[in-house]
Amino acid sequence: MENLLEIKNLHASIGDKEILKGIDLVIKPGEVHAIMGRNGSGKSTLSAVLAGNENYKVTEGSITYLGQDLLKMKPEERSWAGVFLGFQYPVEIPGVTNINFMRTAVNEHRKQKNLPPLSAAEYLKLMREKMAYVEMDPSFSSRGVNVGFSGGEKKRNEIFQMAMLSPRLAILDETDSGLDVDALRIVANGVNRLKTPENAFVVITHYQRLLDYIVPDVVHVLYKGRIVKTAGKELAAEVEAHGYEEFE
Amino acid sequence: MEEFRYIPKKELFKCSVDLSDAQKFFVWDGVPEGLSLKEIPALDASVSFDISSRMEHLTYAPSLEGILSEAIEIIPVEGLLTQVIFVRVSPAPLQSRIRIECRRPGNHEVVLCSHTTGQDRFLTRETIEVEVSSGASLDLVVMQNENSLSVHKSDFRIKIEEGSSLKMNTITLHAGNVSNKIHALLSGRKASCNLNGLYLADGEQVVDTDITLVHNAEECFSRQLFKGILAGNSRSRFTGEVVVSPAGQKTEAYQANNNLLTSDTARASSDPHLVIYADDVKCSHGSSSGSVGDQELFYMRSRGISEAEARILQQQAFAGAVLEKVSKEELRERLGRLVEKRLRGEDTVCEGCSKRCC
Repeated sequence: MENLLEIKNLHASIGDKEILKGIDLVIKPGEVHAIMGRNGSGKSTLSAVLAGNENYKVTEGSITYLGQDLLKMKPEERSWAGVFLGFQYPVEIPGVTNINFMRTAVNEHRKQKNLPPLSAAEYLKLMREKMAYVEMDPSFSSRGVNVGFSGGEKKRNEIFQMAMLSPRLAILDETDSGLDVDALRIVANGVNRLKTPENAFVVITHYQRLLDYIVPDVVHVLYKGRIVKTAGKELAAEVEAHGYEEFE
Repeated sequence: MEEFRYIPKKELFKCSVDLSDAQKFFVWDGVPEGLSLKEIPALDASVSFDISSRMEHLTYAPSLEGILSEAIEIIPVEGLLTQVIFVRVSPAPLQSRIRIECRRPGNHEVVLCSHTTGQDRFLTRETIEVEVSSGASLDLVVMQNENSLSVHKSDFRIKIEEGSSLKMNTITLHAGNVSNKIHALLSGRKASCNLNGLYLADGEQVVDTDITLVHNAEECFSRQLFKGILAGNSRSRFTGEVVVSPAGQKTEAYQANNNLLTSDTARASSDPHLVIYADDVKCSHGSSSGSVGDQELFYMRSRGISEAEARILQQQAFAGAVLEKVSKEELRERLGRLVEKRLRGEDTVCEGCSKRCC
């Protein structure tokens, strides 16, 4: 089967500091990968580079997504092509309502596919359906994007946005951080409902907790900018039991 | 002046704004439509244009030659929005005199729009006296939508008496060189004044806002929010002074000016002042000038919103903080659509209008 994503010898820096020091990773459709690692190991840098954050410079290596050079694509082009990043710290945008934000995004995606924009009624129907995935109250739609949302609400909003955009490759950057057990279950259920044989997920986390709900096919341990160990889901339990020390 | 009075003006400019519970009046180069000079009309029991010269106390700038309009008096009534549309047709400079009087308790709404027709260099100087008294409240919206050559100098003289309140939203959509000078006096206990402004400029346009707000009685409240979005080589200057006199104990006064610069060559200057002679007051002021937030931009782009569209959303959000203060929903939405057109670089004309007013 064709690879969805292929990362080869990826090096990336912020400022003068090299964070990623040669990442190799292959993801196929239908797979769920977990990337675990300590703070500062490069987890968030990897997700930022995949989404196209211009603050990070790729100094070496390549990323191929569905046969295309992902690094040549703008953030919005990556989104149109099916890449989605669930932010660790979702950004607040005062004055832009959630509904206006998502309707603009959905319609820009449709424009790329030469589809007409959704009517207000069509959009609302889709929105309500997807909000139900994450048990989100429709009243959130009229509020500013993430403004005044609790940590859990922000993360649910990320999964709602993911549901609206139906990505091929979703990278969830510490979606579990700051969530209580109920919110974690809701978020994980949302993700599980969106799994298909065509799409893939990269779940970035510190803890095994989330992986009890979203069961990965492959677990990678990231340490100092490199993947130091790759194994099946049992690796998550091992990390949880023994910490990251054995990889040092 | 005569030759323009007899042109069928409706062919020159149309206003498609059709607000509910509103009455619309046109003023062509300082002359109210349908009224002859020296006539005191009974157009509507509730609204009158007093075309008399009894407002000698208004002062004019004698340096500007051209047409000196008759004084136009607007007395709004509760429950009926008074919309007065000032249209410039003749290229001769115009000095206008306008007076708005609210002397009865209750909520009053007035919308003043100014437009230009054609591409002449219109010079308009106007003095707008506003008096709110006897516990009245006035909601005043001033919309300026003129061509890029126009020069428009407005001088607002505002007096708010005891227990009365004014909310004024000045929306400068498009104009060549605009100066809004606002002098507001809170003269009686518990008077309140909300001054808000949004100015959009691009190219070589210039927008000046010069505010002096005086608290001269106890327990008065004032809040100012002025925001500008500046593109191209445009310039804005904001000077805002809040004066609390020794009589202004228990004053609350807030002032903010925020500018969003969308090009490297746009300039905004901001000069807020507080002058306080009373000791028991709550006052604050602040100003900011900057460009759009990169984090917000990246977040929107990561959802597939193109960079250009993301910037427009951000600018709309920035402008929204002022627009949301316009009370009448229909008007707020219409202004919102005009602002969006403006930000997209389209003509700021209302739906269904074939005329170019700017």
